[in-house]
Amino acid sequence: MKIKTHLLPAAVAAIAGTLFLSGCDKPATSAAPEAPAEAAATPETAPTPAAPTPEAATPAAAAPAVNDEPKELNLFCWSEYVPQSVIDAFTAKTGIKVNVQNYASNEEMLQKLLSGGGQYDLIQPSEYIVEAMMKEDMLMPLDHSLIPNIVNLAPEFRALDFDPNNKFSVPWMAGTVGIVVNVEQIKDPITGYADVFQEKYKGQIVVLDDAREIVSWALAANGLPMNEINDETIEKIRPTLQSWLPLVKVYDSDSPKTAMLNGDVAIGLVWSGEGALLLDQAPEKFKWVLPKEGTHLFVDSLVIPKTAKHPKNAEMFINFILEPEISAMISADFPYLNPNAAARKLLSPEQLANVASFPPDEVVSELQTFKDIGEQASVVDDLVTTIKVE
Amino acid sequence: MAATTTAAPAPSSAFERRPGLGAWLFMAPLLLWLLMFVVVPTVMLIMTSFVERDALGRLVYNFTWENYIRAFDWKWLKILLVSIWYAFLTTVICMVVGYPVAYFIGRSSDRFRTLLITLVMIPFWTSFLIRTYAWIAILSRDGLLNSFLMSASIIPEPIGMMYTPFAVVLGLVYTYLPFMILPIYTSVERLDGAMIEAAYDLGAGPVRAFSKVIIPLTRPGIVAGALLVFVPSVAMFAITNLMGGGSNPTIGEVIQKQFTSARNMPFGAALGTLLLILFCVALWVTRTRGRED
Repeated sequence: MKIKTHLLPAAVAAIAGTLFLSGCDKPATSAAPEAPAEAAATPETAPTPAAPTPEAATPAAAAPAVNDEPKELNLFCWSEYVPQSVIDAFTAKTGIKVNVQNYASNEEMLQKLLSGGGQYDLIQPSEYIVEAMMKEDMLMPLDHSLIPNIVNLAPEFRALDFDPNNKFSVPWMAGTVGIVVNVEQIKDPITGYADVFQEKYKGQIVVLDDAREIVSWALAANGLPMNEINDETIEKIRPTLQSWLPLVKVYDSDSPKTAMLNGDVAIGLVWSGEGALLLDQAPEKFKWVLPKEGTHLFVDSLVIPKTAKHPKNAEMFINFILEPEISAMISADFPYLNPNAAARKLLSPEQLANVASFPPDEVVSELQTFKDIGEQASVVDDLVTTIKVE
Repeated sequence: MAATTTAAPAPSSAFERRPGLGAWLFMAPLLLWLLMFVVVPTVMLIMTSFVERDALGRLVYNFTWENYIRAFDWKWLKILLVSIWYAFLTTVICMVVGYPVAYFIGRSSDRFRTLLITLVMIPFWTSFLIRTYAWIAILSRDGLLNSFLMSASIIPEPIGMMYTPFAVVLGLVYTYLPFMILPIYTSVERLDGAMIEAAYDLGAGPVRAFSKVIIPLTRPGIVAGALLVFVPSVAMFAITNLMGGGSNPTIGEVIQKQFTSARNMPFGAALGTLLLILFCVALWVTRTRGRED
C-alpha cells in the first residue's frame, strides 16, 4: 500500500526483505531472527495503559519526564517511509533510543507481529489492516492526553471510517492511486480507467502488482462500490479484467515509476507518491490524472499493538511526529498527502502544487478507503492470477 | 541364531562398516545442520500444507485436503509448465555456453586457471538482485544497449527487450551460469589427457573424440551442473518478476504471493510441497538413468 522512492538500494533491500523473509517458507518468517534481543530482555516495567497513572495525564509538552519506561522504542515501519532525520531528532529530544525494523508489505508486517509477540511497540499499517487488527482486538487504545498534537490533523483525518475518533490510530501519510501519462508518447486525453486500457496501448501499460487494487479499478469502471467484493460482483467484473489484463506490460508495486522513466511503458496506474516523484523529475513529460470513475484513499497510520512493551514511548513518538515542523520534514522526503494541516502551512508552494501529492480538497473528501476483506483476499488474488495466465 | 545376531551389539564381520562414536561426533555438525535447515523446515512446510487459515492468514490447525484439491487445477499446472519451460531453456543455454568456457578453463595452465575461476566467481560478490537491476538499466527502452545500437545506426528505433520472456531467460542464464561452469570445470580438470590422445591415435576425429570420449568422461559434471541450474530456475521468483514484469507469472511468483498478499500460507505450502515432490522424482529419474549407463 505504499510507494518506494527512487533510491535503488532501498528498493533492492525492500524486495530482498519481502522475498526472502516472507517469500520463502514459514520457518524463516516465524523465527524473526533480526528481532532486537534487548527488547525481549527488557524487564516489564510499563504500567498498563488502560489505567494511566496520574503523571500520564499531565500535558505532554513535558513528555520526557512523565514515564518510567526504559528509554527504548521498537519501531516497525515501512521501508523508505520514516526519515532517519526524524528518528535522530526524536532521540535527541527525548533520549529514547529507537530500534527500527522495516517491512515491505502489510502482510509481511502482520505475519511477523503475529509470530513475534511483544517485539514491536509501534507499527504503521494501512487502513484495512488497522480495521482487521481492531476486529481481532490486537491494538491498544491511545492515551490522547499524551498526544495533544493530534489537533494538528486535518478534520477529515480525524473522522476516518475505520477509526472515527482516532481511538487506536493516528494517520502517518495518505495517498491515492491515479493515472500517470507520458504526454510525449500519448497525445489522446486520458480521463479514466477505460481510457488507459485501450487496445492501442497494449504493451505500454504499467499497473500496480496488487490484486486488490486492480479489482477495485474494475469495480469502479463498472459503477460498483470498490469494497463490494463478493461472488456476484466478481463475475460482473471478470469480463472487464479479461479485456484489461492482456494489455498490461508490467506489474510492479515497488517502483512502477522505473518502467515509466526508462521509457518501457507510456501510461500507468500507480501510487500517488510515485506519480509525485515523476512530476518532480520531469514535469513537462508526465501528467497526473485521477480516474473519473473514482479512486480510493489509502491511509497508513501509527498504531500500538497490545503486546507492546513501551506504549508510552510509542505515544511520545506519535505526538512528536505530529509536530508541524517534524511532519513537514517527512513530507520533504516522501511527497504523500500529508494529513497534518498545521504542517501543510510550512510546505513550499511547489510542494503543495504537486497535484499527485495533494489532490483538491473536494476530491479527497469524496474518496473511499479500502475495507478489510478477510479471506476474500485470496479469491481476489486467484481471480487476477487466473486472468493473467489465460 | 537370528536372535543372537540382533542381540549382539558388536559388528559380526570386519567388512560390515558401522560408524563408531568418533565418526558420529565428526558428523554431528552436519547432522545438526541437516536437521535444522532441511528436515525441520520441510516437515513444517508439509504440515502447513494440510491445515486451514483464518481471515488474517493465521494458521488454524484443522486437517484438510482442500489446499491440494485446489492445487490440481489447469491454471496452476499451466503456470508450472511455463516455469519448467523457462528453466529448461535456461539449462540448455547454460550448457551450450558454459561447457566450452569450463573446458577452456580446465585445460589452461595452472596460473591462468586460478585467475579465470576467480573471474567466474566474482559476480557472487554482490547480490544477484543488484545485478538484476543492472540488467534493467541495460535492457530498458532508453537503456544502454538500445542507446548504443541506435547511436551506431544498427537499429532505427529502440527494441523493447525488457519485460519479455527473452529478458527472463537472459536473467536466469546470467545468474545460474556459474553453477553450470564450476561442476563441469571440476570434471574437465580431472580429465586424463592420455584418453583423448588415445582416441586420436585410434583414428577418431575431433568430433568423435569429443562425443565418445570427452563428453562421457565429463558427464558427472554436466549432470550436476544441469541439476544445479534447473532446480533453482524453476522456483525462482525475484528475477522472473523483475525482468518479466509479472505478466506471465512463474510458479515461484505464485507461491510467493500466497505467503504475502493472498494471506494463504497453506495453499502456498501445498504448491511448494508439490514442487518438492517433482524435484525428488526428477532427481530419482536422473540417478537411476545414470546407474543404467
